[in-house]
Amino acid sequence: MTRSLKSWPSWVLLVLVVGGLLAVGAARDSGPRSPKERVEDISRRLACPICDGESVFESRNADSQAIRIEIARQVGSGAVSDDQIINFIEQRFGSRVLLVPRATGIDALVWALPVAALVCAVVGLGVAFRRWKAAADTIPDDADRELVAAAIAGDAEAAEGS
Amino acid sequence: MSEPVVTETLVSGRSGRRLAPFISLGVAIVLAALFVVLASGEAEKPDVTSSFLLGRPAPAVISTTLDEQRFDLSRRKGSWVVLNFFQSTCLPCKAEHPELVEFAAQQAGIADGAELYTVIKDDPDDAVAKWFAENGGGWPIVKDDDGAIATAFGVAKVPETWIVDPSGVVVVRHATTITADSLAVELQQLRQAYG
Repeated sequence: MTRSLKSWPSWVLLVLVVGGLLAVGAARDSGPRSPKERVEDISRRLACPICDGESVFESRNADSQAIRIEIARQVGSGAVSDDQIINFIEQRFGSRVLLVPRATGIDALVWALPVAALVCAVVGLGVAFRRWKAAADTIPDDADRELVAAAIAGDAEAAEGS
Repeated sequence: MSEPVVTETLVSGRSGRRLAPFISLGVAIVLAALFVVLASGEAEKPDVTSSFLLGRPAPAVISTTLDEQRFDLSRRKGSWVVLNFFQSTCLPCKAEHPELVEFAAQQAGIADGAELYTVIKDDPDDAVAKWFAENGGGWPIVKDDDGAIATAFGVAKVPETWIVDPSGVVVVRHATTITADSLAVELQQLRQAYG
């Protein structure tokens, strides 16, 4: 059995552990939130429609304040999810108010491209490491040994001559 | 004696040449995808006239006017309604105001003339009242103290002008200044299309 075959269980284990941790992280539920916490969470995911670089949560202008009031009203109704409230605001002010890109449609490329780049990089590094290892593992044959012996002998003669 | 190394180099050189086109193709695809994402991104269009609300029932608007009259947009069904979002410190709003005065006068002379309402956008009531007293405009001015009306319509920058048809459906949004004539012509075309 080759070394690469022997080591595959550790790779599978590593993939399982990383995948499991990612799944737990993505599905992590920090418990029930109060309405105030929901309003804050939602307003952090929305950009102020008239200012640059500020979320609705941070911004003190009247538009952001009005959006926070609308979010609080919808949260208070208890009938809609966070995503539905964000969708409501997005429909009225446009997708420019989304601070977190959607995971559907062409916007999903924003999420997919870095993952694709990471996979390409890991595969590329793997290929490169295998090549370097193959080169380093070259076993010297008799000819190599003769060459080394001749070189050593030549060095010894040169040392004696001097 | 160095033959094996030479062979290895030749082999890896050949496989590298075989891989190079695929790697280049992969990089090109990723760059093309990035270009598509950036090119198809929503550009900033300050005078955009599209809205999710177009063709849909107008949001519920219940408020009071500056003269403390109740205003309920749903009660205006049966009439063409023009809503103009206004702020007295906004220069384009001030420049547009004479056009609205003219438009209101035009509509007053028509049997089924549109009802014009100003919606105050983030501005003290007395400042707006003072502006109207000095510059004319006898139509109702609707308060929007908590910004609920502006949020319901998705109005961030003023002036904006919206038209709601007699069945209560939003049919036009102008996120820029309008003129009396262009608005009157547009309204007439809408009336004819509405039947």
